[in-house]
Amino acid sequence: MRNPFEEFKDFERRRRDIPLDQIVKSKNVTMARIMEGYEKLLEEEVKELVWLVQYNTVIKAYANAEKSIKGLEFKPEDIEDFCYELDSSDRIPYMITGPAGIYIAALCNHCEEDEVVLKLEDIKTQINLLGYRLPAGKRLLIEGNVGDFAGIGVEGGELIIEGSAKNYAGAGMRSGKLVITKNVGHHTGEWMMGGEIRVGGRIRGLGNIMDGKIYEREQLIYPKDGRYSPRNG
Amino acid sequence: MVEKVRPSKQTEAVDRLWQKVRRKHLFPEIPKPRVGQIHGNVAMEMKNKQITLSGDFLDRLGEKMETEEVLEALLDHGVGHHSYCPWDFKTHLTIYAEAKRVVGDKDLAKRAAGCFMDVVVDTNCVKRNETTLPRLYRNMERGLLEEVIFSLYEKIWGIDLGSRGDPKTVRRLSRIPYLDRGRWPESVHRFTRVIKQLLEEEQREQSQEKGKERENMMGGHDLSSFSPEEVDQGLRDFAKEARGLKEFREVVEDFEGELTDLGYGTEGGMGRGRGGLIDADILYYMKLAENYSIPIRKKCLEKRGYMHPHSHSPWEVGKPVQDIDVWTSFGKIMPGITQTWKKHWGKTFGDQESTPDCIILIDSSGSMINPRKNLSYAVLGAACATDAYLRNGARVGAYNFSDAPMGNRIVLDFASEREVIYRVLCKYFGGGTALNLKDLEPLMKGAQNPDIFLITDMKITNLGKIITYLSGIKNRVTAVYIGESNYAHRFTKAMADKGNVSIFNVTRKEDIPKIVLGKIREYFGGTI
Repeated sequence: MRNPFEEFKDFERRRRDIPLDQIVKSKNVTMARIMEGYEKLLEEEVKELVWLVQYNTVIKAYANAEKSIKGLEFKPEDIEDFCYELDSSDRIPYMITGPAGIYIAALCNHCEEDEVVLKLEDIKTQINLLGYRLPAGKRLLIEGNVGDFAGIGVEGGELIIEGSAKNYAGAGMRSGKLVITKNVGHHTGEWMMGGEIRVGGRIRGLGNIMDGKIYEREQLIYPKDGRYSPRNG
Repeated sequence: MVEKVRPSKQTEAVDRLWQKVRRKHLFPEIPKPRVGQIHGNVAMEMKNKQITLSGDFLDRLGEKMETEEVLEALLDHGVGHHSYCPWDFKTHLTIYAEAKRVVGDKDLAKRAAGCFMDVVVDTNCVKRNETTLPRLYRNMERGLLEEVIFSLYEKIWGIDLGSRGDPKTVRRLSRIPYLDRGRWPESVHRFTRVIKQLLEEEQREQSQEKGKERENMMGGHDLSSFSPEEVDQGLRDFAKEARGLKEFREVVEDFEGELTDLGYGTEGGMGRGRGGLIDADILYYMKLAENYSIPIRKKCLEKRGYMHPHSHSPWEVGKPVQDIDVWTSFGKIMPGITQTWKKHWGKTFGDQESTPDCIILIDSSGSMINPRKNLSYAVLGAACATDAYLRNGARVGAYNFSDAPMGNRIVLDFASEREVIYRVLCKYFGGGTALNLKDLEPLMKGAQNPDIFLITDMKITNLGKIITYLSGIKNRVTAVYIGESNYAHRFTKAMADKGNVSIFNVTRKEDIPKIVLGKIREYFGGTI
């Protein structure tokens, strides 16, 4: 009787290492380290019990975030993958959009590349505080809608949001540029001290603005007497 | 320039190469590929496992490289689809469904899924085998999307293909673990997200050049490459894993043309048959029910008996001698001493067990889930019961009721055609809940002691009458109630001492296989 496996007798499987193996492997290692850093930050931040966006809380969280990512090497795509991981992973049972936003902002600000593009159109959660303290020389482009406090405290960088933002966009901005192609919510530019905000759609309300410029559909609406005044925000 | 090989030579080259390619791909069970004319400007097609390579394509590429190299590359690609990705029909549908979730358009999703499967197959081939695929791609024409895909190949294979795709897109694409089978759904999602813009751009270009359809150059990925049995199995698995009825319906409707071409319709016992229009909802319950096999207790339908010796009586002159019991008579024939056997007619339930017909009573009132909007456990349970009875050669009658006295009901006489029964089960009235017992009379008379399968949430207005009715009959009743309610408790309590009624509760899909049809609590207690 003929052995049905005869043909396999001298079969030899050849395996070639291709660059994909290395790319995927190093991506997985980086992602694990980014996640680890985020978990570390959360451990610190859960001590607050209720996480409120206050001046001190945000500053402290950002300092912790910077500490967590110290020595990490990553690319803009890693940040994008982390956003999706946060949105869908079972590993982290809770996503506190405050610390998450601060952590992502820290990653963007410390990324080696000057331009960071995050394609977040498919993300279910609208992340808050994106673009926090974006330094001069950095350009952050976000495709998709974002949550509250987008571009808070921008320090000279350029934040472009191809979508809508919620309330307090550009709050506490010092210098730089915030472009939102669609609409923004209330308190836009609250305590803004410089720079400019350009909104392609509609602004629901302005905040108390110290200094800077705000455009709505190419029209300068601050500083200028218009339908908005600091009081109606 | 390489000499142009004529079709006969191309066929000869396939003959020479086939054994080598088979060996590389671990001897897949597919027939030897052919060279011929195929529709469109593509390299190959695969129908029911038969690969046909385009003679025109071979001629065209044969001018740039050795024909044998082109052939080997095409065979590696084609066989790779059979032996690695998508491998089976369910994987094909899963990959497509994920892509559709991102782009929301049928054509774009098919294109994205096809591209993803190509990348997986080609990458696997390059990693695990000696292949001429890179040489083929270096010489192939390329469109907008191919330019990016070939650049991706350059990056992940480390081989120069002379392409100029956008480096940022390529960088994103190169991070996807194409060879990790367990992560394909997630990977195709990311892949589609990255190429979404390109796909839309390509579609725009296509609509500007009317009639010029952009094809996958290596060949399309339609369902004709699968056998009807694979399609059956694939639909079964996909029904189980799809994210609900909506997704299943969407995918089946997107592939409706191809499924109909395969002779797949709801007409015919197993789903394939005369090729009627596909009702995706019915198909969903049909395929899902095939995953749940619920047991059914057979019962003896025939009473057989014979005369057997029962007791003794004294023999008298004139009585037959053949009934004499020689042992108790001490070998003597003498009135008063000799004993004869008194015989009794015995009854026994022998080996003539079979499955009785069944009447399925299904509640489709407003408190039940609309089976055409969401997964209805009631319809799924009834579908499983239908399958079980039909599989055992019995017939099934159905009574779908909402407020029956007002006319919201369907009565189906005993039938054996699955889709006819399913159509009745899937009907949703969404009104009040009352059962008209008179409607059951013709059904009860239509079969010999039929089983009754009742599936409802028990929120029935005339529940009292139903309890009285079920208490008065001897038929085996399997009552299934969905969810918990006071009505269900009342029913359970009222039926507690009825041996022929078994009650099951279903709160999730996994409860359905726990149902035992025709289970009776006192099997040997004379209630049969």
